Amino acid sequence: MQDVITGDAGIIDALSALCGGDDAVCHKADQYGNASHWFRLTGTDKVVPAATVLKKAGARLIMISSYDKSGGLTGFEPELCYHFEVPGVIYSFTVALDATNPAVPSITPLFANADWHERELRELLSIKVEGHPNPNRLFLDETLDAGKLRSAVPLSVAMNGANSTDLWETILGAKEKQA
Amino acid sequence: MSTNTFHMPLGPVHVALEEPVYFNITCEGESVKSVELTSGHVHRGMEQLALRRNLVKNVTLTERVCSLCSNSHSFTYSMVVENALGLVIPDRARYLRVVAEEVKRIASHLFNMAIQAHLTGFATFFMQIMETREIMQDVKETVYGNRMNLASNCIGGVKFDLSQDKLAYLLKQLDVFEPQVEEIREIFATNGTILNRTRGLGILPPEDATALGVAGPVARGSGLPMDCRKNSPYAAYGDLDFDMITETGCCAHSRTMVRLNEIFESIKMLRQAVAQMPDGPVHAPMPGIPVAEAFAHSEAPRGEVAYYIRTDGTETPARLKWRVPSYMNWKALSVMMRGAQIADIALVVNSIDPCVSCTER
Repeated sequence: MQDVITGDAGIIDALSALCGGDDAVCHKADQYGNASHWFRLTGTDKVVPAATVLKKAGARLIMISSYDKSGGLTGFEPELCYHFEVPGVIYSFTVALDATNPAVPSITPLFANADWHERELRELLSIKVEGHPNPNRLFLDETLDAGKLRSAVPLSVAMNGANSTDLWETILGAKEKQA
Repeated sequence: MSTNTFHMPLGPVHVALEEPVYFNITCEGESVKSVELTSGHVHRGMEQLALRRNLVKNVTLTERVCSLCSNSHSFTYSMVVENALGLVIPDRARYLRVVAEEVKRIASHLFNMAIQAHLTGFATFFMQIMETREIMQDVKETVYGNRMNLASNCIGGVKFDLSQDKLAYLLKQLDVFEPQVEEIREIFATNGTILNRTRGLGILPPEDATALGVAGPVARGSGLPMDCRKNSPYAAYGDLDFDMITETGCCAHSRTMVRLNEIFESIKMLRQAVAQMPDGPVHAPMPGIPVAEAFAHSEAPRGEVAYYIRTDGTETPARLKWRVPSYMNWKALSVMMRGAQIADIALVVNSIDPCVSCTER
């Protein structure tokens, strides 16, 4: 582990100002000395300001991870973690969402490659992304309910589409609808 | 809409696509005006599956996300778990990880080159490249016992050591392999048919490449100096002398030359890794699992692979999320295809070396 963790003081200060709570800011380095800085924002209203700080610093969006902190099928405590890189240094910020109305502002206007990530949040954890330019499904079909990552599907139900008459009924139904 | 404008479906199953994806292409005459992409045909819910397995079993699962870059997944997954656990891997393991990764990178790049030859209608060249690639397939089979999934990585290092015999065999095969790739590079750089078909095709200007966040040879072919092996060295990459290959043509041919030149850098790295590899253990024991979150990224053949993990003190991850390079590179197709001829669509798609299984998980 490295004694000195590299990073841009300007970015760290600006993001720290948007954080709150105990252990809201954390700095780490891996075995090879690659630094990562972690921030916990006070609320979803800080997402766009935080992304703006990183955009101005020339950062690149790597990934947006969605996470259900409750870990169960009954509770729901959604959180999002955004990962950015300014060459060689990772900046990640986490924000907790309202469980009853999970919504977050879109950062696609700032980072074009947030598009798919935000569409995936919608289908996997049914998180509403406000202001998204193309709020359509990404991978999952419209007929499936949103929030698939949290749903438990019995194997027999999952297999129905593949090996029972249900598949043919679906196809014939679609054909009749077309005709 | 002019009478000359029409919509053309391409895929999801198509002879020029290795994996299923559906393009709705708007054309004007022979030219592509815009592209709309629909994917999800091989969505397997793997992130959900990962939450049902313990940390060790997930090494095996993640290696099966993809075939050509399978090693990059188990590699980066192991790294993210090691970061969460605060586990330091032994020096010999750092080098062995590089060896497996670069062998896979060479085989992956050559596969893409072979498909490109096939798409340009150059059947004999396709066979020549695949035959050369077979040398690396033999290396995988002889050294690791498998032609695709090497099963080399584990949390804390690598599963097994490589004997001096096997490393000597690898070096011997590289000596046979290198002049053959030299010949392939020469053909790609000078053959009129290939240059006519690929040079200036599928232009991705650097500003679009930056805005879309593309990765790997797609980014480097547009002149962006992006390579995790250089920008945030991991495993033994920091100890090795190699160059980051970039091209400024921003076209399909530039991306081809990036991949071909990278093969020679990989050969250089393999030779250095074998020469510099220290003796010692190849894996460290796993400590207890804390409540933690961690991030890791590495350079797969197609670009940056990123993993994020949250652990809750139990043996199964509370969340495991990963993102592959094709995830962003797909979107770049809408820029690359604009104005392209219908007959060139398959070549443009191939120039991003797409991986659908990876993207959709």
